[in-house]
Amino acid sequence: MQTRYGVAMERGVMLAAKEINENGGILGKKIEVVVADSKLKPDVASTELRRLAFDENVDVIIGGFSSGVVIASMDTLAEVEKVWMVACASPTVTEKVKEDYDIYKYVFRVGSTNSSTFPADLVAMLDFLNEKGVKVKKVAVIRDEAKWVADIMDQLRQILEVNGYEVVMEEVVPPTQEDFSTALLEAQSKADVIMPLIAHGKAASLVKQWKDNEIKIPLAGLDLHAVNPDYWDATSGKCDLEIYLAPSASVPAEINEKMKAFIEAYKKEYGVLPEAYSAYGCYDAVYVYKEAVERAAKAGEKNPFDTEVLIKYLESINAENPYPGVRGNIAFTSHHDLVYGDKFIRNYICQWQNGKQVTLYPKATGELIIQ
Amino acid sequence: MITITRPKLNYLNWKLLIALIPLPLPFILPKSIVFMLGLAFIFAVFVLSWDLVAGYTGEVNLGHTVFIGIGAYTSALLALKLHTPPLISIIAGGLLATIFGFVIGIICLRLKGYYLALVTAILPLVFIQFVNIYSGIFGGYEGLSIGIKNALHRSIEGRYYIAYGFMLLSLYAIYRVVNGKFGLRLKAIRDDEELAEGVGIDVVKHKVIAFCISALMAGLAGGVAVFYRLSVGVDLFGVPLMILIILSALFGGLGTLFGPLIGALTIYIAKYWVFMEVARAINIQQADALMMYLLLIVLILKMPEGLFGWFKTVRSKLPLRTY
Amino acid sequence: MWEVLIIGTVIGGIWALVASGFSLTFGVARIFNFAHGTYFAIAAYLAAALYPTLGYFSIFLAIFAAGIFGLVVNVLIKPIRDREIMVILLTLSVALSVEQILLIIFQDTSISIPPVINGVVEIAGVPVTYTRIIALIIALLCLAALEIFIGKTRLGREINATSQSSEAAMMVGIDVEKVYSSTMLISAILAGIGGVLYAQIYSVNPETAFRILIFAFAVVILGGLGSIKGSIIAAFLIGYVQTFVSIVLGSRWSEVAVIAVIIAILIVRPRGLFGVE
Repeated sequence: MQTRYGVAMERGVMLAAKEINENGGILGKKIEVVVADSKLKPDVASTELRRLAFDENVDVIIGGFSSGVVIASMDTLAEVEKVWMVACASPTVTEKVKEDYDIYKYVFRVGSTNSSTFPADLVAMLDFLNEKGVKVKKVAVIRDEAKWVADIMDQLRQILEVNGYEVVMEEVVPPTQEDFSTALLEAQSKADVIMPLIAHGKAASLVKQWKDNEIKIPLAGLDLHAVNPDYWDATSGKCDLEIYLAPSASVPAEINEKMKAFIEAYKKEYGVLPEAYSAYGCYDAVYVYKEAVERAAKAGEKNPFDTEVLIKYLESINAENPYPGVRGNIAFTSHHDLVYGDKFIRNYICQWQNGKQVTLYPKATGELIIQ
Repeated sequence: MITITRPKLNYLNWKLLIALIPLPLPFILPKSIVFMLGLAFIFAVFVLSWDLVAGYTGEVNLGHTVFIGIGAYTSALLALKLHTPPLISIIAGGLLATIFGFVIGIICLRLKGYYLALVTAILPLVFIQFVNIYSGIFGGYEGLSIGIKNALHRSIEGRYYIAYGFMLLSLYAIYRVVNGKFGLRLKAIRDDEELAEGVGIDVVKHKVIAFCISALMAGLAGGVAVFYRLSVGVDLFGVPLMILIILSALFGGLGTLFGPLIGALTIYIAKYWVFMEVARAINIQQADALMMYLLLIVLILKMPEGLFGWFKTVRSKLPLRTY
Repeated sequence: MWEVLIIGTVIGGIWALVASGFSLTFGVARIFNFAHGTYFAIAAYLAAALYPTLGYFSIFLAIFAAGIFGLVVNVLIKPIRDREIMVILLTLSVALSVEQILLIIFQDTSISIPPVINGVVEIAGVPVTYTRIIALIIALLCLAALEIFIGKTRLGREINATSQSSEAAMMVGIDVEKVYSSTMLISAILAGIGGVLYAQIYSVNPETAFRILIFAFAVVILGGLGSIKGSIIAAFLIGYVQTFVSIVLGSRWSEVAVIAVIIAILIVRPRGLFGVE
């Protein structure tokens, strides 16, 4: 909760709650937000989940940044029988829903795309670079020592190879690692591009050292911190020209009307742009919850807030009947994952240019600058 | 005739009464508190097992969490990969921890006082690194879940009673060890090591045995903890847990049987209930941990013999009663 | 192999600076100050927090603040100074308290300071930033100064004497209290300088203090208690080991390797390389 991801989540939810309450609440009832902090530890998470369910009697839980913590908590969820709308990326979460629906049906992924969508989009990113004249074939991967990445590495390697790329290096970094000199130098000597896959680790240090050591090859990958508006300051401007993937379009660029309105409202309420990607997803989550409950009431359900009913109507928000959120149309698959696609939610290719975040694809708000 | 007697509390009756208190609690308290109390009972075994070495041999083992963690991860992995039933997994975890206790004891107990403390302080870090590096097997810093089917008991109340039973059994075990011939020799070593050697006690052997018993209990407790809360994580190896254990033992009083027990329950409940509530009330999420560390600082400076130690000192100063 | 030499030297330089203060308290004065990392962290955080308003003057303030905190820790330790285990526990608690306070104020964000000097130079094909070179030079200067201080100045020799026996020192007329407070003050300042430099090259977050402590501890143990010269050599050795392990096995093994070194030394040769018992 002390991390920016937690702060952004809390603010996104609070903003949505405030807006909804000002417009009459959900079925006339006002939303009350209760906050819990897992401290990114599974044992703390399980205690807090129980407190939320038993003591605070919440109707729905929103959040969940760490895939590892979420996965470790899915059994606790089954015990307390509450729905958790999560913002984490690991495919394992929704695979478990498929494997054992009765126990794990309480989880819905809404705040991020499934990380298995990342490999295809990372390839698209490299293709994009090649199209624009940057010759890229050999890839050096520098990645988190975390579940969300470990789960997709095999897939990423395969899809890169199928598309003519070669993974010449894979460096695993723990979240505490500060010094990337040896990794960067090795990458420079072996590859044409460095692909970071970092959400938990010290990406800012990596980027600073990339610039300071004047590494000649581009940085293009999934640096989750790059999505944060204050990344420019955090890296003292050294993220300039970094190319990155913004998962589930969670970037402060005006890709549609709703996003524009959200960014403006957030800025007005908190004085800053959304600190992290989790703000967008969790904001959407509250509205999705409202939609599900309203659909239930309209269908004549006696207790639209009941967990079993909620699950049924969240599932009704599917590809045929999506809900338009700020990042695109939100729809759930049969195992509670976000439907992926241009008409739904997509990952965006972006670049930092001169202090601003510019989207390059699918909707471009600027042009690629080659270093 | 004048009989002079010191006022003596009738220990046995008191103890029985107090032991009955936790029994009806699951029916009165909210579920999440009951859950926390069960963990407190298991935590008490962490502390009691640590005190066996610290309080009775005078050696400070700052790496006690190694045994807890080994017990925890071993039992978790056995249950997950080989589907062994909880009881077998927990016992296996305890046994592996004992083996480590033996090896570490043999190597380290011949080191000078503070060197032992320093080496043992670093050991857990090695284990944490391994868990992180081989995160495929061990779950990394995000931990592993062992699945609700493996729980000690499906309901929280059931697990609470099992944890309580475990704590009572452990308490009894330590009581027997400490009050028997072995325990007497340990105390002799603690009070004056050279004299004990001179009287013919094999100091190193006794210390190693104490170390092994301590490791066994901690390993078992680690396993029980995993099957209680359904997850295992590096927190079981970590420094904050070690500090909490030391704080509890110091608070209660090293080397007194009930001191560490009361200390453990008090400190655990203070941290996870009282301090948490305060932290939530003032909306500073880290405040509960901070209060713990500040408490330890105050304790070390003002009351190093702990609650029971202080209690003993006070008692010995009470006037004699005359009839 | 050039990489190991050059990067290892540069990393070793930083460790040498960071460990120098620890070498003084732990190695020479035998005070087990586990709060040493906090001076480092306080200096780094203060400098980063004040930099936007005060510019590079914040660096001096930060180092000064670290020194003051060193004196605070000294006062806390005074009543229990003779019981080593208690000192370890107390200073450990202080370290953890400060970490929590930093977490509360600054949250989990890593902070860094824009480098005083920008620019990079290539040595044998390996890019080395000017900041790292400066850190290396400052480290060597500090350590050389420390060696002279201990060996040649009066206060230095008093510190040495007190570490061997505080009672004997008192009998000879040494102001033991002054010795202790000077030791803590100097070590805190050295750690503060280390922190401010580290924040320019890398970034610092509340847990960094503890990790730094482990490396400082490794350096002093390997070099040998009581020997500043040993600490210097050990710092570079650790740097080379770290870099070598990073290249061959991957960076995440480097910390395990360092810990393994500490344990091995403590068991096999507690005196370290140049230790003075």
